[in-house]
This record gives sequence, C-alpha cells and structure tokens, in this order.
Amino acid sequence: MKSQTEYKLKSAPEDAVSAVKFGPNTNQFLLVSSWDGYVRLYDVTANNLRHKYAHDTAVLDCCFTDAVHSYSGGLDNTLKSFDFNTTKENIVGTHANAIKCVEYCTEVNGILTGSWDHHLKLWDPRTPICSGSYNQGDKVYTMGVCGEKLVVGTAGRKILVWDIRNMSYTLQKRESNLKYQTRAIRCFPNKQGYVLSSIEGRVAVEYLDTNPEVQKKKYAFKCHRIKEDGLEKIYPVNAISFHPIHNTFATGGSDGYVNIWDGFNKKRLCQFHQYHTSVTSLSFSHNGSVLAIACSYFLEEDNPPNPLPEDIIYIRTVTDQETKPKYSGS
Amino acid sequence: MGRKKKKQSKPWCCAQFSLTRFRYCNREFEDEKILIQHQKAKHFKCHICHKKLYTGPGLSIHCMQVHKETIDKVPNSLPNRSNVDIEIYGMEGIPSADLKEHERTKQGSRGNDSGSDDDEPAAKRPKPEGLLGNAPGVMSGMPGMMSGMMPPPGMGHGMPMGPMMQMGHMAPHFMHPGMQMMPPHMQAMMQGQGGPAKPLFPSAIPTSSPGGPSAPIVGADFKPISTGATISAPPTTNTPGGSGDGSKAATIATTGASSKIIHPSEDISLEEIKARHPRYAKSIPSKSDDGASTSSTAASEATIAVSAAQQAAVQQQKHVEAMNQHAAMMQRFPVRVTGPPISMTMGGPIMAPMRHHQMIPGPPLIGGPLMRPPPISMPPGMIGMPPGMVYGAPMFPTGPVLMQPRFR
Repeated sequence: MKSQTEYKLKSAPEDAVSAVKFGPNTNQFLLVSSWDGYVRLYDVTANNLRHKYAHDTAVLDCCFTDAVHSYSGGLDNTLKSFDFNTTKENIVGTHANAIKCVEYCTEVNGILTGSWDHHLKLWDPRTPICSGSYNQGDKVYTMGVCGEKLVVGTAGRKILVWDIRNMSYTLQKRESNLKYQTRAIRCFPNKQGYVLSSIEGRVAVEYLDTNPEVQKKKYAFKCHRIKEDGLEKIYPVNAISFHPIHNTFATGGSDGYVNIWDGFNKKRLCQFHQYHTSVTSLSFSHNGSVLAIACSYFLEEDNPPNPLPEDIIYIRTVTDQETKPKYSGS
Repeated sequence: MGRKKKKQSKPWCCAQFSLTRFRYCNREFEDEKILIQHQKAKHFKCHICHKKLYTGPGLSIHCMQVHKETIDKVPNSLPNRSNVDIEIYGMEGIPSADLKEHERTKQGSRGNDSGSDDDEPAAKRPKPEGLLGNAPGVMSGMPGMMSGMMPPPGMGHGMPMGPMMQMGHMAPHFMHPGMQMMPPHMQAMMQGQGGPAKPLFPSAIPTSSPGGPSAPIVGADFKPISTGATISAPPTTNTPGGSGDGSKAATIATTGASSKIIHPSEDISLEEIKARHPRYAKSIPSKSDDGASTSSTAASEATIAVSAAQQAAVQQQKHVEAMNQHAAMMQRFPVRVTGPPISMTMGGPIMAPMRHHQMIPGPPLIGGPLMRPPPISMPPGMIGMPPGMVYGAPMFPTGPVLMQPRFR
C-alpha cells in the first residue's frame, strides 16, 4: 500500500500477468490472465479474489463480454469462456497455435481471437462455434477494436484493418510506421484512429481515415527510455489503455513507467512513479476513474534477476488532472 | 532591408546564395547573436506553427514530420540561396562559394555570376540522415581529405573526394551539413569571425548517425521521430510469408553506439520467447487423445482455415519446421525422440498418432492442416489435465532458449 491513490491487489497471480481488463460497467471487477495458467476475477473495491479458472498452460489474454462472462485464450491454443454466476466454464474452440489476443466487439456481439497460427477467428457467444477464420499473413501479436473496425498487428510489422461486419476482405493493409516490432495496438474510443507501440520505446498515433488530409495528422514519438551514464536504454512499450472518456491514453513500458498522453494535442499529461519491474498490461475502468497497472518481469533477458521481481497488480485512482487534455492556446 | 555593406568581418546573412546565416538575404549584422536571431525569426521559422528552428534542414525536417509538408525553399531567402539542405547557423556552414561571392560583392564588383554558385534546386540530395555530430578527424582512410571534412552521408566510401573539392560550385550540394567545406584560408577566416569549426548547434544531434552521440531527450513530450533513428541498423524484418516461424528468426540490432534496446535480439515477441520455457509446455497426452477422437471435425475446420497460399508455405517450410519441431521435442520429451522419421512429423494432413506435435509450443504451424478439432462435443472436464499437474511437471534446468539454436 503505497498511498491512498494506489494499492496492490491481494492474492496476485503467481506468474507474469499477461492482461488486465476492467469490466464493462463497473469499477469493481477486474479480469486478470496470467502465465500461471489462471484467469482470475478480482473485486478491486473489496480487494479480494472472487473467482479463478484454469487453462492448461499460460493464458495470454482475456476479455469480458458482459459483466458476468469472460473469454480467455493462451498457449494451450484454446478459447475458453467462463460464467461467473454459474462458475461454469466452456471450451469454445481452438486455434492451431497459441491464442495471443482475445477481444470483444460490442457492435457485432462477437469475440475475436488472434493467434500465432496467423489466423483471426470470430466467435459468436450465443452459439459457441467459430463463425469465421481469417488469414492475417503472419503471427498475430496484438489487436485493437474500434467500433466495428478491427486493427490487427502482426509479426513483420504489418497492420491490417478489418470491418468486423464484413470480413470478406481486408479494409486496409499497412506497414507499421515504426521501424521495430509492433508491441501493442489500441483504438481511440472516438473511433478515429489507433495508437501503436513498438519494442523500441516509441508510440505512433494513426488515423483510420485514408484521406490524405487526415493522414497528415499522424505522428510518432519516443518514450519509455532511460538514460544512464551516457547510455540510453530503450524499452518495449508493452501496454496501452485508452481513457474511455477523454480519448487520452496510458502507456506502460518495460522500464516500469506509466505515462498518460494526450494524443490529439501531443502532450504528456503525467508520468507516475517508476514501478518495480516491467508494466505488462494496463486497463482504465469504464468511467476512467481507476487504472489497473500490471507489473511483471518481462524482459526475457539471458540472465534474469534472481529472485524474479514479484508479480503485482496496482489499482490506482486517477484524477481528471492526470487524464484530461489541458486545453492550452493554439 | 538595408544592406549595410560593412567590413567583411561583419556577420552577414547570405540567404541569397547558399549561406544560411546571412546567406539568405545578404543582410549584415553587427553581431553574430543578432544574426542568429534574425535567421531564426526570418528564415527558419515554421510558417505553420511559427516555431523557430535553428537551421534550414531543421526547418525542413520539422515541417516534414510535424506538418507533413515539404519545404523546398528557405523562407524569405534570395532566389539562389534558398537551398534548405544546407545547414547554416550564424556564420557557420556558409558554403565557400557564397563567402567568396560575398567578398566580391563587397568589393564593389557585384557580378551577376550567380551561375557559378550552388543554386541547384534540381540536384537536391536526399535529406541528410546524419547531421554531423562527430568531431572532425573521425574519418580516417580518406586520403587527401582535409581534416575537419567528412564525406556527406550520401556518398559511398568509394567515392573519391579529391575531384569534388575542385568543383567549388558543387560543394554545397554534397556538403555534409555542418561541415565546413571550404579552402583552408576561408576556414581560417571564419574562425577569425568567431566561428570555430565545431559541430553545429546541438539540436542537430538527435538526427545524428548511429556513430554520433545521439542525445534524444528522454521522456520528452512527443519528440518527433527523426529521420535517422538513434538506433544503428534498420531492423531486419521477417521475410514475407516466411514469418520466421521455423527458420532462423530475424534479429534486431539492439545496440547502438549510445543506446540499447532492452529486448532480446531475436525479432519475435517477448511472449514467444517466454513461451519456450518448459514450464509452459502443454499437457500433451490427454490433448492428443482428444484430438484423435474428433479428427473429422478437425479436417472440416482445417479446410476452412487453410488457404492455398498457406499450404504452399507450409510445404516450403515443412522441412525446417520439422527440424525445429524435432528439436523442440528432443529437449522437452527426450523419450519420444526415437519416434517416426522427422519428415513424417509434419507430413500428411491428418496423422492422428502424430497429433501431439502441435501441442508443443514451438514454431507455429501455418494454418495447420493438422489443426486441432474444436472439442465442442467434449465435456469440458475431459479436456486437459488438472492444472496442478501442469505445474507439477519438472522444469528442465536448461532452458529451451539456450538449447534451441543448437538445432538450427
């Protein structure tokens, strides 16, 4: 317990945290997937663990579809669903390789999974079958959902934009503007564009509209770098989470820092203190008043520290001052 | 603008030729400081956001990156001195031709010999990728070069410098911005004017070449991407289609002269690297049984999933992947190594007995014809082992990360 604005979740996962996701309508529940093979549901208000269910091995992502249903997938190639009311779990389907991302699209009421088998699959929660499988050309590393648009980032720095309502063709195929491997993609809540981060301490703000006038607004910037003794250490930017109301976003890096940015005005709004190890996932709650910060060692160095840093999830109350764009002149 | 023709030692703005300081408008100033102010306000100010930059290239890069606009002329400059690519700061960096011209002009012989200078919009060379940052003398092995001179970035090492120096009028185009390429006497003159031949203003540094001292501001708000990143080599990306699955993965040049990307050099995601740890190996036996029991479903789903192109890719990579699979097997399940021939492991579309291979986290199978069936019909409880067993599995002390390469 650092202060009133921030506290640690009790009964944290026992291995690296792969994803944290707040529930759709409340600040109370946080879904957490971990490399220890479990998906956990926390009550962050009461600070306790409500439920957990297991995969065969590491879970790489999870999502809520509504307040009581979650979906998750991981290295076991399997998409599972869980009903927190009945505590009943279901195997929805599989990929041919690990499922790296699981997202829910409210607009079409579909679950989207992206896998290292190069495919994206669409699942219907009512009839748990795969309603479509789409080749992405390379391993899917990250996905962001933007209304009915889906932005997929794959290995080889490719970006694919899909319309989830009509998956018969790819809307746009782009190459990442960043020179290095794509790490995370999240979409602006206002559906104008997305933010993309790379392993090389850099974040790009991109627009979906292909109109050249709009495209002019795209840009990228450096962040999550630490200079020590003349050597600049450049860290992967692992996590992005949008503030649901202000269209600002938080980034988390392997440097242990969390920054909040105003993407439209190109300003950094604030930086939190340095966390003890890599920030692997971030999630704003539905109203943007709380930010969940997952910290796990994730540098995958040849000689990892011993003992490994603890896996901790911080729940931080954020204020408008930290997350709201400051409208200055110009 | 009153062109005060003063002594030649007075700083002058050569905006009209290729000198930027004064170069752009030929005004003269009492003091270099004022000149720099003049340059910033008059010639290096962004017309869109009114930000004052320090040099022509700086302005041009700013406009390119921030506003996505190309600047082809230095604002308010004389027509033949509008080259934005020449880096001039105060009196530094003014091409020798312009200096000569200026001198000539002062002596009253104001020839209209502008043809002999560097006006050459057409011959614009690509934006300098690395603006100086190195002290003179770094370049060795360039015989005949004046010290303090560096070849411009665009020039290959093979290009002889000698001839170029004769071509006075060409010099500005090829001139490395920030490098004074002028005859020694001129240089001496410049120094007399208070402009020692030192690297130009620091803001050029972030765009410096890998060798240079890159000094990006850490955590600075939205620093625009500079054309030349601070990282040494461009990343090698996966070849299309290959995706580096089984083949040797592409690598990332993680270490620059003054920066280091904190990431393994292999260009795959951190998750993939972490997933190699034996701890995350799946519980193979129960899984493969499940797969076998519903193989028909697998086939149908596989057909949906697999495109023709992918199948081709699978064929191509089959061998490599098979080897890797084999490698993966050897380290994780030493007992099984004596199994069927390697080439079989990835072979036919449905090979029930071999099904377990795909459970091994390792190189992903492309759109696998071997795709595991959706175990919809299975009661959930039957799938997989109790989680406890997974973690109970012994961990191999030697991680696969170390072992894998041996088999490549």
